[in-house]
Amino acid sequence: MDIDITLNGTERTFEAQRSDSLLDLLRRNGYTGTKRGCDTGNCGFCTVAIDGEPALSCVKPVATIDGTEIETIESLGTQDDLHPVQEAFVDNAALQCGFCIPGMIMRSRSLLVENPDPTEKEIREALSGNLCRCTGYEKIIDAVQDAAGRMGEEGVAADGGLVRGEGE
Amino acid sequence: MSRTDEPAEDEPAADERQGSEPSAEVRHPIEWDEAPNNQKSADERQAISKREEKNDARKIVTGESKYTADYAPNFPDLAEAAVLRSEIAHGYVTEIDTSAAEAMDGVYAVITPDSETVPDRKYTSAGQSYPEPSPWDLTILRRKVRFVGDPIAAVAAKNGDIADRAIRAIDVTYEELDPVLDPEEATDPDAPRIHDPEEVENAQPGADYERNVEAHDEGEIGDVDGTFEEAATRDDWVVTETEWKTPYQSHCVPEPHTTIARRDQDDRIHLVTSTQVPYHTRRQLSHLFDVPIRDVRVTKPRIGAGFGSKQSMLIEPITVALMEAAGRPVKLETTRREQFYALRSRRPARVRLRSVVTDKGDIKALDMSAVTNSGAYGPHGRTVTGSIGTKPLPLYTHTPNVRFEMTAVHTNLPVGGAIRGYGAPQGHFALEGHMDEVAHELGIDPIELRSRNLIAEGDLEAVSGITMKSEHVRRIRSCGLDECIAEGKAAIGWDEIEQPEEAHLHRACGVALTAQKSGVAGDELGAAHIKMNEDGSFILQTGAVDIGPGADTAMAQIAAEVLGARSEDVLVQPSDTDISPFDYGAYASSTTYVTGSAVKKAAEDARDQLLKFASRMLEEPADTLETRDGTVRSERTGESVTLEEVGYESIYGDEVRAQVMGQASFSTDESPPPFGAQFADVTVNEETGEFEIHKLVFAVDCGVAINPDLAEGQVEGAMHMSYELATSAGLSFDDDGTPETLGFRDYGMPTTADQPPLKSILVETYEPTGPFGAKSVAEIPVNGVPPALSNAIRRAVGVRVSDLPITAEKIRAQLDE
Ligand code: FES
Ligand code: FES
Repeated sequence: MDIDITLNGTERTFEAQRSDSLLDLLRRNGYTGTKRGCDTGNCGFCTVAIDGEPALSCVKPVATIDGTEIETIESLGTQDDLHPVQEAFVDNAALQCGFCIPGMIMRSRSLLVENPDPTEKEIREALSGNLCRCTGYEKIIDAVQDAAGRMGEEGVAADGGLVRGEGE
Repeated sequence: MSRTDEPAEDEPAADERQGSEPSAEVRHPIEWDEAPNNQKSADERQAISKREEKNDARKIVTGESKYTADYAPNFPDLAEAAVLRSEIAHGYVTEIDTSAAEAMDGVYAVITPDSETVPDRKYTSAGQSYPEPSPWDLTILRRKVRFVGDPIAAVAAKNGDIADRAIRAIDVTYEELDPVLDPEEATDPDAPRIHDPEEVENAQPGADYERNVEAHDEGEIGDVDGTFEEAATRDDWVVTETEWKTPYQSHCVPEPHTTIARRDQDDRIHLVTSTQVPYHTRRQLSHLFDVPIRDVRVTKPRIGAGFGSKQSMLIEPITVALMEAAGRPVKLETTRREQFYALRSRRPARVRLRSVVTDKGDIKALDMSAVTNSGAYGPHGRTVTGSIGTKPLPLYTHTPNVRFEMTAVHTNLPVGGAIRGYGAPQGHFALEGHMDEVAHELGIDPIELRSRNLIAEGDLEAVSGITMKSEHVRRIRSCGLDECIAEGKAAIGWDEIEQPEEAHLHRACGVALTAQKSGVAGDELGAAHIKMNEDGSFILQTGAVDIGPGADTAMAQIAAEVLGARSEDVLVQPSDTDISPFDYGAYASSTTYVTGSAVKKAAEDARDQLLKFASRMLEEPADTLETRDGTVRSERTGESVTLEEVGYESIYGDEVRAQVMGQASFSTDESPPPFGAQFADVTVNEETGEFEIHKLVFAVDCGVAINPDLAEGQVEGAMHMSYELATSAGLSFDDDGTPETLGFRDYGMPTTADQPPLKSILVETYEPTGPFGAKSVAEIPVNGVPPALSNAIRRAVGVRVSDLPITAEKIRAQLDE
């Protein structure tokens, strides 16, 4: 079957099997920044944004995403020109093996778009579906708090809308 | 060296107390013949002790960091694989019907124990150095199955979906045997026998397969029985006995084990695989498939963490056998379910402790015995179970009489393996819980009791070798435990705890001290090679396996410190057995200490070479020159040349041309312990048993931290695992041994929402045997939370939870008694 989506700002048509998840589709087509940790919706490593909302791509059947707008980690910054959330993760040393990080950043960005100035408790709630085995979460929480400040400064998503176009 | 202000009158002399011959004092001097400039004051340091950005950080946050599965698009005809695993805990596979699977469209190969490409040689999955201290009791695919999860058959197919369907189409007939699930019952002579001793190669000391005993060992210093006999006659000596239990713990590696196997252009076997031990994997595959070592290549890409899980060689042999059968590259990626039940875990343990302590608080005797559940196979059984005693007991090394006995027992449950801490968490739970019980018994402050007996700088320590047949002592040349205790106490607010207003709530702090090692003493090798580019940058190759913590970054910092270069000008190549120098791999907290020492030596070699060029260029003797901030400078003339100018001169110069290339190997009998103090602050509800942890603090002495950000990351990440072991770890099974914990949800790994705040404190000491004073840090923080929390709860409501995990129900049950 053919699936039409807007992927990271570009309209695309992908061939897929009915049994595919969005994660299968993404990874097979080279969008390997989105990681597979469980395939059952329990780790958050595969988090992307669908129509601006954070979603677990491993439990999204492709049939349900036709016509949607999908954003993956590849839609944010580049190594030389990082998105403020990415920058905050780097500057706070909020990463180790990195396997959880693309999902963690996508989830954090969605949170900050919706709630530009979250409390620590709100951050902890928002990230509770995104596991990390390496960092103990401490530096990740610091990074998200820091990112809130940076996004505020840059006026990113001041309209509450999607952040897009950086580096695509 | 005694820490006690007033030593007891009958304290034995130093040599006697250490249980070693007097010459050990001389053979292990406190002074260490270290390289000049190994010790640098804070303001002399250029690259070390800096919070340098992790060298793959930008790749990680942009999603460009490539893990094994991300290499799939590089192999256009790649097949995907799946494994059929035993559904029964004990029995024989009498028939395997693969016809339906083989007939399916898109199936390239189905392999069983009888297939031509599946050798039936014995091996161990342990991933240790040669010869492995683990029994060779595995074959790649198995006819006799010993736990739910044993691999029986495997499929390679066009895609993962077809592979999964083909696996389900294989029909297996079993002859079932009674399983044994409890280690105590397993040693009963009438219990079902899991292994035939005739079938096991390289059996370990003390193995008694008639009683399902994989390994047994014991050792004694002094006279333990005599001390207990004397205690029975004295009312100023107190005997305390305790028993502790710990459960299975899963590594929960974020990236499931993944392997891609292929034949390269030269028809050699090439693996891209998520391993902590590329060289051990290469050696083991060469043995299994009977090909020369040179015909196997193992490439390590980015790894989604290991924690010991990926020290085990678990799926590589199956992938190679499938690749040979299918005649094309194969990728095998384990499922999260398999990660939980079919791979490796922390082994459950039962530890008993007895002690004799004087009423003043001086420990006279410690008697520890540990029984662990190895599950169905024996990788790491002897060494992990031994570490239950040998890692924590050195904390109280002044104890004149010590005995340790260990037994690793097989059951028909999942297999124990290497996991962060390596026996030390089980041992510390017992020892540090026991110390608090003694303190309660004696009415002595728990910190005061520990301080009276604690290991210190200058000590000659023998307990870490208590089970060794030959004499073993270790000189302690750095120990910051006093500072760890002081800083940890202050951070947790030990002296300022205020009771909640509600009468049913009780708040208290608990403490536990911890120790670990830095590599396996006398059983490590790290090597490094560093070459200079003409632009003044360097390429560093080591076999060190960065599995996530940032070892590559730390290695670059060590090299940069020696070379006077910027850390980012040292490029580190990931480990590949065709390219990198040899390395034993990432385990036993060895990388910074062992491989870091090799890197330092190799960089010194390179520096000597580049100074010769600089000396000619500046017309000054090499030994008067200094490298700093990317330049070589003469103190006397004030003239300088940049490293770039030296680089060009070395390669394109008119006089002498030679590439600057430094190299070194490093191996050592030393393994200095890092030390740490864990604190927990908890409020317990005496009506419900519910408890709230306000904060966990771990203060660690890891010598000089090469990169404080990375060191803190190790502490916080390991404390998270330690918290899990304390409060939620465990795998559950039904009565037949069928696993019930099959995913993150069942398992309950802590999340941002339910984990208390963690605070890490780095206490700097200087370890003269380590590179720039460094010791290890990766494992030690996983040891402390279970005993510190259990001790805090004991202090809050007088209840002792001695079997993990600690739950409200267990507290409540005891409060109700
Ligand atoms: S892979 Fe999607 S939640 Fe784990
Ligand atoms: S950094 Fe490894 S899982 Fe989060």
